[in-house]
Amino acid sequence: MLIGQEELRARVCALGAEISRDYAGKDLLLVGVLRGVAIFLADLLRAITIPVAVDFIGISSYGPSVETGGVVRLTKDLEEPIEGRHVLFVEDVIDTGLTLSFLLRTLRARAPASLNVCVLLDKRAHRLIDIDIAYCGFQLQDEYVVGYGLDHRQRYRNLPIVGVLRPDRY
Amino acid sequence: MGPHPNHARPRRTAGQPAFAHPSEAQFAALLSFYGIAWLYEPTTFPLAWAADGRVTLAFSPDFYLPEFDLYIELATRKQSEMALKNRKLRRLHELYPDVRIKLVNRRTFEDLLLKFGLEERSAQLIGGVGRA
Repeated sequence: MLIGQEELRARVCALGAEISRDYAGKDLLLVGVLRGVAIFLADLLRAITIPVAVDFIGISSYGPSVETGGVVRLTKDLEEPIEGRHVLFVEDVIDTGLTLSFLLRTLRARAPASLNVCVLLDKRAHRLIDIDIAYCGFQLQDEYVVGYGLDHRQRYRNLPIVGVLRPDRY
Repeated sequence: MGPHPNHARPRRTAGQPAFAHPSEAQFAALLSFYGIAWLYEPTTFPLAWAADGRVTLAFSPDFYLPEFDLYIELATRKQSEMALKNRKLRRLHELYPDVRIKLVNRRTFEDLLLKFGLEERSAQLIGGVGRA
């Protein structure tokens, strides 16, 4: 186990309080990218004490089935308009920043009033594309983690903690 | 002889460039998938010169991402092969302090393969997942 339930709860509550202060009086929309963020976003949403809306976006993932020359596409678009609104993009984990870079570019093109990033787990040592993170739950090093929404081949999302996946489970 | 990077002979061609290593082709495909423009080894940085001015040591980072003004070097080979690469990187930082370059080390590349379900290709790309 890397991060236990109590530690997760305390940090998410602190993030919620910080976000509530920073966005008081603003039209706040949380946007989560499916599917790993579901549990973190649900807890974060309940820790925010100001009026807030929520929406989800989905993108295709790179993988063995992607043909040569394939490009990322939206598998689920937002249902809420974001023009002129204060968007807080919520992610479960950020490593290289390749995926997030695409998503932020997509959202920025829709002219939100502001666009910030909140991430539960930041693997900064792996970062290739520099991205400003406004709210960060925990810094990670090299660990390949699962649980609290994060999966490996769609497994382990339901673990209530964040744990390091043993190499023999790859 | 002062340091002047050589941009004169970009190696990108109209089609796919001839990648030196399968891991580079995989990484290029990943960048393209996420819509990130890249050039393959577009710049050679001279790092050392002989008395007559000939370049005796040079470094061509694997990728350049124009949108981010960033060079990327894949360092996925075995530790024993990394000494020269590390020496070149240190010298690059000394001579060209404004050049932004990031290393994708073996561990980061392994995590990318895991993240995208490509770990079965690891033997072909980097000689297998080698973590303890």
